[in-house]
Amino acid sequence: MKRPFSYKLNIFLFLLPALILFLGVLIAPIVMSFVYSLMDWNGLSTPTYIGFKNYVELFTSRSINISRALQNAMLLAVLSVCIQLPFALILALKLSQHIKGERWYLAIFFMPVLISSVVIGQLWIKVYNPEYGVLNALLRSLGLDSWTRIWLGDKNTAMGACLVPILWQYVGYHMLLMYAGIKGMPAELNEAAMLDGCTPAQVSWYIIIPYIRPILRVSVIFAVTGSLKSFDMIYVLTNGGPMHATELPSTLMINLLFLRNRYGMGSTIAVMLIVLCFVFALLINLAFKEEK
Amino acid sequence: MKKLLALAVAAMMLLSLVPAFAEETLTLWSIAVESDSSYQSFIDAIAAFEEAHPGVKIVHEPTQNEQYKTKIKAAMNAFSDLPDIFFTWGMSFLGDFVNAEPSRVLCLEDYYPAYEAELARNMCANASYDGKLYGVPYTMSMVVLFANMDLLAQAGWDHIPETYEDMQKCCDDLLAAGITPFGVSGKETWCLTEYLEPLMIKSVGTQKLIDIYEGRASWNDEGIIAAVDAFQDMVKKGYFDPNAAALGNDEVKNNFIAGKYAFYQNGSWNCGDISKSENAASFKAGLFPVLNPDNASLYELIGGPNNTLAVAVTTENPELAATAAFELGRAMSDADYKSGANLPCWAADPEAQVSDLVAQVVEIANNAVGMVLFGDNFLSADAANTYLDYVQQAYFLALNANEFAEGIDADMK
Amino acid sequence: MDKEILPKRNQTGQRKRDSRAKGIPEVMQHRFRWTDVLAQIGLIVWAVICLFPVYWMFTFSLKTNNEIFGENVMGLPREWVWSNYTRALNVGHMGQYFLNSIIVTVVTIAITLIAAVMATYAITRLHWKGRKRMNKFFMLGLTIPIHAAIVPLYTTFSRIGMLNTRWALIISYSAFSLSMAILIATGFMGDIPYDLDEAAFLDGCGVWGIFFRVIAPLMMPAVSTVGIYTFLQSWNELMFATVFISKEAYKTLPVGIQSLSGQYTTEWGPIGAALALATLPTLIAYLFLSRQIQDSFIAGAVKG
Repeated sequence: MKRPFSYKLNIFLFLLPALILFLGVLIAPIVMSFVYSLMDWNGLSTPTYIGFKNYVELFTSRSINISRALQNAMLLAVLSVCIQLPFALILALKLSQHIKGERWYLAIFFMPVLISSVVIGQLWIKVYNPEYGVLNALLRSLGLDSWTRIWLGDKNTAMGACLVPILWQYVGYHMLLMYAGIKGMPAELNEAAMLDGCTPAQVSWYIIIPYIRPILRVSVIFAVTGSLKSFDMIYVLTNGGPMHATELPSTLMINLLFLRNRYGMGSTIAVMLIVLCFVFALLINLAFKEEK
Repeated sequence: MKKLLALAVAAMMLLSLVPAFAEETLTLWSIAVESDSSYQSFIDAIAAFEEAHPGVKIVHEPTQNEQYKTKIKAAMNAFSDLPDIFFTWGMSFLGDFVNAEPSRVLCLEDYYPAYEAELARNMCANASYDGKLYGVPYTMSMVVLFANMDLLAQAGWDHIPETYEDMQKCCDDLLAAGITPFGVSGKETWCLTEYLEPLMIKSVGTQKLIDIYEGRASWNDEGIIAAVDAFQDMVKKGYFDPNAAALGNDEVKNNFIAGKYAFYQNGSWNCGDISKSENAASFKAGLFPVLNPDNASLYELIGGPNNTLAVAVTTENPELAATAAFELGRAMSDADYKSGANLPCWAADPEAQVSDLVAQVVEIANNAVGMVLFGDNFLSADAANTYLDYVQQAYFLALNANEFAEGIDADMK
Repeated sequence: MDKEILPKRNQTGQRKRDSRAKGIPEVMQHRFRWTDVLAQIGLIVWAVICLFPVYWMFTFSLKTNNEIFGENVMGLPREWVWSNYTRALNVGHMGQYFLNSIIVTVVTIAITLIAAVMATYAITRLHWKGRKRMNKFFMLGLTIPIHAAIVPLYTTFSRIGMLNTRWALIISYSAFSLSMAILIATGFMGDIPYDLDEAAFLDGCGVWGIFFRVIAPLMMPAVSTVGIYTFLQSWNELMFATVFISKEAYKTLPVGIQSLSGQYTTEWGPIGAALALATLPTLIAYLFLSRQIQDSFIAGAVKG
């Protein structure tokens, strides 16, 4: 019975398209990235092998300042997990309780996910404009003139100002994931708890959240790795400025590649990002396993 | 078989003759998008060239400045899809392409003699490598201190301050009168260098600055430190627009023209836009005063021949492309000069009608005793960005002048 | 796996009966409503925050600079400046950008789907050693950051003359959407009973016959789900699109808008119009399809 399903050639043919794409566009380039990271190369001349010098420079150069970029990525990851996800969870829990207008809310909350980050970024640039932006206009009309800031231009406020739209945009994404998880629960579980006299909050905490753990794990992984590779919004809003205050590894990499012609160094950052993403995905998986 | 061969040979000969009559197309990449001050000059120059060379068509593909840098580098890197003629900045920007292996840029030395009378050798320095010409410089630009004399008058000044001490006093007076002395874009770091570099050259002098850029002298130099100190002093005293960090250069320029700042120190290419404004009469062009009279004098300037047209080595018709580069360059030089967009590299038409502002800038250029190109053009891409980075940090007071000098010295190695 | 969503009436009815049965005091019930009201207020506030930027974009896209810069920052436009839209259309190539985005996204989705469904079939339905490992291998793609490959891809594409082509984007996007697509397809394929394969086998179908006649048609529901996830990945992608494409003719929407905004920093009206033009078709499609889109998205989450 099982024989015809195991012809090697067929298996290979079925896997072929996916393998070509995966190996050719993902795996091979990553190996090449590592090789490039050992080179000094400006993209025009022949690369020269320099060992791990790029790695040393990456962590010592003050003008590259990788630590700032990593700090920002970590900050983004922490805030995603501590603010964005809980908020998305609250929304999902509320909406799954058959609240009035459930579908409308779902539709509206998910909408920012569909709009291009470039559009959202450009809009927020205008929201933050120190002279004509809505935010400062609002503050002034409330008589809070002293609160007005050059939001994206001040190194103290720029990162905060960038975080708001980034976190805001993807609340809907996580909310819908969690909502899906909750809706997928067997109804008896809820009912049983209700019969036992649990309040909705208790039901949420003791029944629903444990039940949707797998989805929460996925959300956390997406939020953290997503933060490490986040690019679009910052690129549009500040491109890492002012003074690297909003630099992320990805924006730093693009600047090294295309402004500084440092292909080797750009690849070094790429390699570092891969390692970080894997380490974090592993850590998160471990954390969720241990709790079990 | 022989017949066939004969036919083929005949066909080849015919084909090789055809281009002389058929339309020849050259592509030209530039940064002159519609909002650029040289946009019209390019259109006019192309029209003039096409008229002088019937059967030749030039396709102009402009790209916005920042994106252009990525675009041209990508094409150079790929070594394919290159245009015939491309806009470039002098020194290291073009140099990277010239020195690539294999070189991406056509050497123009053989075509140069025909134009030598109009385009002086000394104008070609920033486009020459190992003594050979690789680009046609068409305009030069330099850093000029634009002043709004009406606003200065409100603070009790009828002239641009001539000494550094006077400049400080003038700025204090302006502030007291509620006027922001300087407009600058903190968002675009090159705009900050338009303030810092004049200070540097007027603190260390021309030759020293070149030595520093070329790595023969250390950045960790008293004069550089003094210049950065002066720069940061201006920041600390609030001489710059407090909103600078959020503004792009276009916005700053518009603000200056609208009368929001007393001074705007930027490239001479702004003459066109400023003199086109309604209140053009209130603006004057001058220079930032000397910081250290022992090392430098007023007419040591930042700038030089910079806007350049070069020919890609992949062009199918090198001779025509080279001719076009020279002739377009000559026309651009003239057109930009007349429109006030820039100063000419080519011998200028002495009869040309130019605005007062341009005349003042020409006067300044004629008095020049030394010129050093903009640092971000002078230095290679990596070094330039390290430098820009430190300039930005200095502007935002993230490091002091000593840290600036030491850090840049360490990172450049 | 349970897609059944309880009908509303049943649930609320249940709740009432429960409270009566358990004798939850009136006060409690009252407090209950209060929290509901609070929840509604909270939800409405968040909805406003989600909608506001879009509202603002549409209003300032129709205003003059004078209105935008102070006279009328947040209200509806006083005079409707449609010329902003004609300017946005004339200066930029919005139509072209849009077309490029559609082509790139649609082809990406098609390639991703075909490759993913085929691979999933081999991994879940065919018996061979190492299929679990192969699945894990593909799942690595979920965490690999897309930019890790950018330099090699860029240099390779440039060497073979593929920069400034739509294929450069399509191939990259397909590869990076693959893992998610396989993950989702695995869930869907698991729902197809094995009896069908065996029946088809007994009818004389080979492996390919089973795949095309039985599996592929039954995988249709996965199309929209894989489609929506792939769409989210590729429609708005900026980094590859910025780096690989510099020719006007192949720019996708995000790159096109970004370069347009770089050129006109001081004129908000036309930029607003360009942003609105870029967003409008997606929003309209979403208006009509929001339910399907959400359901597909949800299906992906549940299956995955």
